[in-house]
Amino acid sequence: MHSPTLASRRGFLMFAAGAGVAFAFAPDNFAMADSGKAALTQNFEPTIWYTIDSTGVATVNIIRAEMGQHVGTALARIVADELEMDWNSVRLAYVDSDPKWGLMVTGGSWSVSQSFNLLSQAGAAGRIALIEEGAKLMGVSSDICIARLGVVHAGTRSVSYAEIVRRGNLGRRFSAEEVKTIPIKSPKERRLIGMPSAAIDVPAKTNGSAHYGIDAVAPGMVYARPKIPPTRNGSKVVSIDDSAAKTVKGYIKAFALDDPSATVPGWVMVIADSFVGASRAADAITVVWASDDTSRISEKDILDHGRKLIDNPGGGSWVVEDPGVDAAFSGAHSVLDKTYTTSSVLHFQLEPVNALALEREGSWEIYTGNQWQSLIIPILAKALGVSESKVIMRTHLLGGGFGRRLNGDYAVPAALAAKAMGKPVKMLCTRADDARFDSIRSPSVQTLRMAFDSAGAVIGMQHHAAAGWPTQVMVPGFLSKGVNGEPFDPFSISGADHWYSVRAHRVRALSNDLANRTFRPGWLRSVGPGWTNWALESFMDEAAHSLGVDALNFRLKLLDGVGKNQGSEPVAVGGAHRQAAVLRRVAEKAGWGDDMPKDSGLGIATTFGQERAMPTWVACVARVRVDRGSGIVTLEKLFIVIDAGTVVHPDGALAQVEGAALWGVSMALHEGTELANGQVRDTNLNSYTPLRMGDVPIMEIEFIPSANASVGLGEPATTVVGPAIGNAIFSAVGARVRHLPIRPSAVLSALVTRS
Amino acid sequence: MKETLTFNGQTVTVEADGNTPLLWIIRDSVGLKGTKYGCGIGMCGACTVHVDGRAIRSCVTPLSAVRGAKITTIEGLDPEGQHPLQKAWIATQAPQCGYCQSGQIMQAATLLKDFPHVNDQDIDNVMNGNLCRCMAYVRIRKAIKLAAMELLQNA
Amino acid sequence: MFRRLSTVFLAAALIAVVGLYLVSSHRAIAPVTFLGVRAFPDEQIVRGSVLAGAANCAICHTSKSGQLFAGGVPFNTKFGIVYSTNITPDSITGIGEWSEAAFARALREGIARDGSQLFPAFPFDHFTKVNDEDVKALYAFIMTQRPLSRAREPNQLAFPFNIRALQVGWKWLFFRPGVYQADITQTAQWNRGAYLAEGLGHCSACHTPRNSFGAESVSVKYNGATIEGWFAPALNASNSAPVPWSSNELYSYLRNGGTVMHGSAAGVMSDVIHNGLVKLSDEDLHAIANYFAAINGSSHATTESIETISALNITSATNVPATDPGAQIYRAACASCHYNRGVLHIERPELTLNNALNAPSANNFIQVVLHGIGREEGLPELMMPGYADVFSDLEIAELAAYLRRSRTAQPAWSGLEAAVASIRTKEDGT
Repeated sequence: MHSPTLASRRGFLMFAAGAGVAFAFAPDNFAMADSGKAALTQNFEPTIWYTIDSTGVATVNIIRAEMGQHVGTALARIVADELEMDWNSVRLAYVDSDPKWGLMVTGGSWSVSQSFNLLSQAGAAGRIALIEEGAKLMGVSSDICIARLGVVHAGTRSVSYAEIVRRGNLGRRFSAEEVKTIPIKSPKERRLIGMPSAAIDVPAKTNGSAHYGIDAVAPGMVYARPKIPPTRNGSKVVSIDDSAAKTVKGYIKAFALDDPSATVPGWVMVIADSFVGASRAADAITVVWASDDTSRISEKDILDHGRKLIDNPGGGSWVVEDPGVDAAFSGAHSVLDKTYTTSSVLHFQLEPVNALALEREGSWEIYTGNQWQSLIIPILAKALGVSESKVIMRTHLLGGGFGRRLNGDYAVPAALAAKAMGKPVKMLCTRADDARFDSIRSPSVQTLRMAFDSAGAVIGMQHHAAAGWPTQVMVPGFLSKGVNGEPFDPFSISGADHWYSVRAHRVRALSNDLANRTFRPGWLRSVGPGWTNWALESFMDEAAHSLGVDALNFRLKLLDGVGKNQGSEPVAVGGAHRQAAVLRRVAEKAGWGDDMPKDSGLGIATTFGQERAMPTWVACVARVRVDRGSGIVTLEKLFIVIDAGTVVHPDGALAQVEGAALWGVSMALHEGTELANGQVRDTNLNSYTPLRMGDVPIMEIEFIPSANASVGLGEPATTVVGPAIGNAIFSAVGARVRHLPIRPSAVLSALVTRS
Repeated sequence: MKETLTFNGQTVTVEADGNTPLLWIIRDSVGLKGTKYGCGIGMCGACTVHVDGRAIRSCVTPLSAVRGAKITTIEGLDPEGQHPLQKAWIATQAPQCGYCQSGQIMQAATLLKDFPHVNDQDIDNVMNGNLCRCMAYVRIRKAIKLAAMELLQNA
Repeated sequence: MFRRLSTVFLAAALIAVVGLYLVSSHRAIAPVTFLGVRAFPDEQIVRGSVLAGAANCAICHTSKSGQLFAGGVPFNTKFGIVYSTNITPDSITGIGEWSEAAFARALREGIARDGSQLFPAFPFDHFTKVNDEDVKALYAFIMTQRPLSRAREPNQLAFPFNIRALQVGWKWLFFRPGVYQADITQTAQWNRGAYLAEGLGHCSACHTPRNSFGAESVSVKYNGATIEGWFAPALNASNSAPVPWSSNELYSYLRNGGTVMHGSAAGVMSDVIHNGLVKLSDEDLHAIANYFAAINGSSHATTESIETISALNITSATNVPATDPGAQIYRAACASCHYNRGVLHIERPELTLNNALNAPSANNFIQVVLHGIGREEGLPELMMPGYADVFSDLEIAELAAYLRRSRTAQPAWSGLEAAVASIRTKEDGT
């Protein structure tokens, strides 16, 4: 029996974390004993991860993008807890790119999970050094010392960290191996982790002082707005006519980019001395492009292509392949077979993509908000024709990430324009430019099949999913290998490898090459689970109904925690049992089984968040009311229960779940676009309609108290909501919808189909 | 053209085409970066500032329409950044990415001026025009109610 | 069909008046040397400035980029473009050589100093009602303005409309000269209002539909008319605003530029209020308001107060049908300023009560959505941005249709998208 193989994504991360540790505790970066007393009157910098200054203030270096998840606060609290800091004396430093940080990426809801041990041990190392030196200063044995709130105590005597930094000789050295062996606190001893706290980045976001990429300026800079070609990949500039732009105030010039990295083929940059000038000039300029065939591709073409790929049984990568799948289906008493689809989704992060690029002393500096510096720096180097060491990303807050800024493609045109102009260039996309240039969530097609025996027991299951694969397009080296040796994008199939015991399970992932060609598929909050869970959890509901059994009980029975679904220490400990527990709890909260008013209904769904190796156990019940006349669905209430292991920053965690759940609502009922002629149809809020204040349902969110390992929270609540709503619609009026987003017209036609 | 306006109490003369959106005057001529660009069509609210004390969308307001006006941006809402709304925003930890929040707060200030006894319907209808892509709506609502309480107590 | 008949009729009439012209040509009045500021008592000049405000002289005689009273404003009539003249006391390009008699004759008879006929774009059919004392005061005011040299623009009128002499026939058909005569059955206030509104105020010049000769159609006086892409609303009982235009409402509209129960002034009316009527005393404005309240029949209606209207519990909350694009636009772009609950706020114009949204023509609604309302146009310091560069014709049409359907009891507007396009195109041309 083959076990689910999402291992390579995990393996890559472990490597990354390992590299981080190695860098973090390189001897030169550790204690400063050898540099003598004078140096010690400056700062104590026991690791690259933080410094403590002579006033006792600790500044924690944050290598993750701050995009609303308050990641800096969560990571600093991990350090500060072990370091026994007074939280009021902790500051954050969002650092620029540097090889010493190791892999710089913020995504996958990994940050806390990945950094927990590393930063805990870094904090502990500092505490040990401070206690030892504090003991010396007090003339006592370090054995009788404890550290609390930035002070080392020995009985009634004490010395502050500030004083130790000023007077002490912080000479203790740790090798990287030693650091890895430092024990971290037991959950009971934690004083910051899991306690209520305010996020450090919040106050600046209430008074206008928070600094985002769009706010970056440089002396002598000019502004650029692109003219974006009709297709993402295959367009070439034939001619540029800027005669009408010559009268635009401040217009300087327009030129086609020569991009050795092939990131932005066919782009024209319009330069002016103001953004308004560049924007108006761009409107006035006529560019003729020669485009490839993707300029005629529509959403339907991509979905049709996906169906065709699924229909070919030999294609794709086998992500899960239990023995006996074919036998189970050929010998089945009955088979359920359903197909689900999802539409294109825009990131629509509120700050349109932008970058300021300049050359200083032979190095290129890129000022922008970004989620994956390590991915784009080599591409920038290639585009500029310099070595990677000559490219620095200057970190800024992100006006929304949601995965858009994992793909740093927007930095490339700014850099190329700066090179061409010989001066700093600030490129800003208008909202419509941003939408057209977005790396959208791919449309998807999925076919699910379930085989039952004569007693109604599940004896086999298949899940076939075709979509555009961001990882294949942007980081092919990160593709995983299926059991048939074919590569697959783990981000685009995760979720299908579920924890239900279905006897013989097959998961097949198919790359929709037409999608990959037509647009640049993106990682969008949760990526694949956004469609896999929609299909899986809608299908589980359909399966239960086809058997005439309760949708909750049907799931609970399959979440038996047996065999490969029993989970493993430390992160996935408990396995399917923990998923069953959140499911039971949410049903209880929501009054599952109670009578509902006419045309109202409850729908249930559950997921394990992002990936099997880092499961965040989530369950949701949605209560909807359906207007049979118009097909309009009103989402009245959401109940969500989550088991995320140890929660470092409870209020931040709750905020992530609130936001993620509403993203799920938005993608289920409000937003969504379609490709037409190779471009997204909706480019601004006049027709793209994300959820707004008045659409927010009542939400009851509960975390299961847990001391288990921390997992991710940025994404998991996003994907459980859609199927819960779809299932609730069925429960309310008997209409089954199989496409996201759910439009009133689809509900109406499903009502007709039913009757 | 040259226009003289007041930005957060300071008189400033700016030189720009009359059809230049106020947003870019604020951000790039005056240099107040707290006011944000989101959609450019007056439908996301990130650019909301006060003109003569009332919230407007600066991205669709040309300079020529506000000659002589008193403009207040998030930086000028309260000299110490301690407006009841700002305090409530912190108390409820409303911001996530924070990009929309200047606009949210400026819009909420007008909301509470007009509806001191604010209710959910008022919040829904007045704040619907301010998109929060992080969907921090639950806390924005909570913060508005908290600020309303403080304002009523001080009234 | 109607148009063709009109043309035939017009031609016949023109032939008839040629004869008339021969028997009624006018002589020139001798030029006078400019008399200078001191020739007039201060009180008379001050009084004249108020009257010039009532008559809105400045609006028609001051071009957008031009100087006060120097003329050059184009009027797009169905016969072609007529430009207003320079009425500053400049001897060569203005009316510096006009004696008071010449000035009075122009005002009351539509004849220039040199004896030529004035086109009725100049509302001498109203100014004829102005009494001697007021004419003197106006003359004093005008002749003490700064003389500005600005040559007149040639009118762009097609033959035969460019023949000034033919105005004689027009006058014979439509012009009834004579100073205003008080109606003794009415109060003094009513008579004062009528004198101002029908005379200097020439309200019906915009608010009454014109016939095919460009004259006001007396049978539909004050029924409202389309003018320059706007709709000058009905001032009689046919006005479709949900709350009657009571004397108080009219007064506060004319005084402040907007009211909580009818909305804000915009377009040409903004100038009338803020640059013209602003000179009038409260007493005179009340008189005008009272006069129109009598005309529209609201003077006997219960006085509407904000409280009584608010008590109707207008719900301007958006219940957004997910399928209505107009509703989506409204709630994202409009509701933050237009939503109301409980006592209405004057700063939150309530669309349910809005005159433009309830009007038979969508023009004013479209104009305001396209161009907004400047902070000096409507209520002081209250502004609305324009959305001309933001929304397509279709989107504005959808918004208009949604609001008309959801906020008023009026029949749907038709041809909205084309109307938006047409209003846009007209502006591009000027």
